[in-house]
Amino acid sequence: MERLKTFLRHPTGMIGLIILAAVVILAICAPALFPDDPWEMVAAPFQPPGSEDLPLGSDMLGRNVAAGIAYGARVSLTIGVASTLAALCIGVTIGAIAGYFGGKVDDLMMRITELFQTIPGFILAILLVATIGPTLTNVIISIGAVSWPPLARLTRAEFMRLRGREFVQAAVCQGQAPLMVALRHILPNAISPIIVTGSLTIATAILIESALSFMGLGDPNLMSWGLMIGASRTVIRQAWWMSVFPGVAILLTVLAINLVGEGLNDTLNPRIARKVRNA
Amino acid sequence: MSDQTLLSVEHLSVELPHGGDRSHAVADVSLSVGRNEIVCLVGESGSGKSITAHAVLGLLPPSLEIGAGTIRFRGDDIAHADDDAMRGLRGGAISMIFQEPLSALNPLARVGDQIAEVILVHAAPRPSRAELDARVLELIAAVGLPEPATLVRSYPFQLSGGQRQRVMIAMAMANNPALLLADEPTTALDVTTQKQILALIRRLQAERGMGVLFITHDFGVVADIADRVVVMRNGRVVEQGSVDEVLRRPKDDYTKALIAAVPGSRPASTVDRKIEGEPLLDAHGLNKTFVTGQGLFRPDRTVVAVRDVALSLRPRETVAVVGESGSGKSTLGRIIMRLIEPDAGAIEFAGADFLELRGSQLRAMRRKVQIVFQDPFAALDPRQKVGDAIARGPMAYGAPPAEAMADARRLLARVGLEASAAGRYPHEFSGGQRQRICIARALALKPMVLVADEAVSALDVSVQAQILDLLAELREEMNLAMLFITHDLRVAAEIADRIVVMRHGEIVEQGDTKSVFTSPQHAYTRALLDAIPGRSLFAGPQAATAPNAMTA
Repeated sequence: MERLKTFLRHPTGMIGLIILAAVVILAICAPALFPDDPWEMVAAPFQPPGSEDLPLGSDMLGRNVAAGIAYGARVSLTIGVASTLAALCIGVTIGAIAGYFGGKVDDLMMRITELFQTIPGFILAILLVATIGPTLTNVIISIGAVSWPPLARLTRAEFMRLRGREFVQAAVCQGQAPLMVALRHILPNAISPIIVTGSLTIATAILIESALSFMGLGDPNLMSWGLMIGASRTVIRQAWWMSVFPGVAILLTVLAINLVGEGLNDTLNPRIARKVRNA
Repeated sequence: MSDQTLLSVEHLSVELPHGGDRSHAVADVSLSVGRNEIVCLVGESGSGKSITAHAVLGLLPPSLEIGAGTIRFRGDDIAHADDDAMRGLRGGAISMIFQEPLSALNPLARVGDQIAEVILVHAAPRPSRAELDARVLELIAAVGLPEPATLVRSYPFQLSGGQRQRVMIAMAMANNPALLLADEPTTALDVTTQKQILALIRRLQAERGMGVLFITHDFGVVADIADRVVVMRNGRVVEQGSVDEVLRRPKDDYTKALIAAVPGSRPASTVDRKIEGEPLLDAHGLNKTFVTGQGLFRPDRTVVAVRDVALSLRPRETVAVVGESGSGKSTLGRIIMRLIEPDAGAIEFAGADFLELRGSQLRAMRRKVQIVFQDPFAALDPRQKVGDAIARGPMAYGAPPAEAMADARRLLARVGLEASAAGRYPHEFSGGQRQRICIARALALKPMVLVADEAVSALDVSVQAQILDLLAELREEMNLAMLFITHDLRVAAEIADRIVVMRHGEIVEQGDTKSVFTSPQHAYTRALLDAIPGRSLFAGPQAATAPNAMTA
């Protein structure tokens, strides 16, 4: 409760939360706001923003840009959250095993992690999507597969720090199984920095998804921000609104998530939290 | 005010921010330090002794302010002096040494440069390089550090704890202070080192005619070093007077209780507890070497923590493992807990080699050996309710949750807490109460052996005495054999049937408590006994020491 209150008093964190809430509401209400399919050609092509029924204009096939942004929010948020969850599953598991057992297990896990870290994440994601095919699930898997190394390293560091703590040793002496010790004693005490990094990973995942769609490697059946920008890049001189509005949507969403993540960091990290309270 | 008074604190009050458990950190404190005397400010944690000293130097944390009262140094009020004036005093006429020398020194600067810096800050015409170097060397020699010429070029991490504290003292002495504030300067040190540092402070004080305000929680140290004593409790002075008056004829009840609680002030546990029978736990040939990799091109660093240690523990027996830091005593305790795997050796316990057990057999045996750790703040999971912490152990061995929880409540009541404590989180308890919780957690599994790793070292003396009493009662009730690991011979004397003295990973002496104290065989044991602070006052366990052992 205390932490919630501190977060609510965090100015930039709150700004981020409000923007993010707006994007989430937009995504949820998309079918109500725009009953037509975003792929539907509802108007004449190349209509500038402010034309009748088209607050953000139409694209070169006469599709509603505003509807595209609303439906794109669903895709971006879904992929951002789902791929981060996937990355958390992989990263936390590998980091926890490495940090808890140490020694050779740790060496093995960290070499695998480093292998992934040395390959540029975006290129690996392109490779994966191109190989296994551009569907929503595959995009999520691909982004998750390139986003987990930082989470694994962070989890490992936290587990190593807590592993030697006396309350963890006391639990071992009580005869609790390693899995129980890790889940009940270490993870709850390590969760704060993982949440913070996880929230920032969502932002990165959204960017990777947009970039993939921009290159035409997104799910072709889903309207997404990256796809809209990618499709309209050739006409940017004549019809700026087709790429600028999805771009602003990406910017605002990623910025909002970063602000929330920073706010969470300040609230969940006790040392900085104290500074906020004194100020 | 006489000319002899150097520092006089009158009716000093420092207010605490609202919402604390009391309104003042210190209230109405009056004390004085004269030239050429050592005044000990003694009290338990939270008594306000450090706040008082920090107030003198204007080093209070930002949330605290001097509410009322005056602090006079050589007659000038410095309680409300401006920053410039205070900077002139700090490290000049008044200097300070701290408890933890490692964190008080800059890890990235050479020791000599750090001492030189203190001189430069206060030297009006900048001394020449040669003068400065000579002065630094002279200071290093004065605090008894070896090879001053090499030492000036070393970094703090290359020095031992005692050497670092000597460097701190050299820095404090750099500008010939009139007043030295020493905030628990020996608390983090081993007893033999503590003895040397106390002697050093005593000598420097006498040579220079300094006034010293020495903050400590240890009445033994007070007895060794003080001319006068000020006893504080909850931010107030409860008693002050000469060391003889306060320590031998205390007037205040709190002072009496504190002095009575000093371990070693009571007679040793000379009661023969009739320990006999076959050893319950018999360890032999234990070896453990820690190897730290130093990177690809440097040889690994090895530290022998435990070397060829043999130790046996009979049913109901309490064996104290005594040693200074780095002696391997904690490693030994953790090997017996199977928290650290030894390189070689065997532990025969209840008919099996404990070290050979794996998997479910190990788990079955684990519950028979339990541990209580040193730091009660680190030993409890901050996110787990106390009742859960205790009940989780029996539940791991299949006890029904309701029954385990009922057991936990009963144990909490047994260790002197309310049964309702089960529903609360660790941060709601004081250090002593947490240690009681840790004891309850260890005993919930009905162990045969309890390892107490410095279990009372982090506690105030009065709490320490209560926990020792509790452990002494519980070992009779539950027929516990206890391995009591401690650096404090006084504590060992209170509870142990047998004492094992360790040094550099090896056992140098063992024997029953009385004989170790009255006729120590090994020179190191004698040095340890000799270094116990306050021997002049608290005759304690070594009262019957033969005269030749006293002088050894």
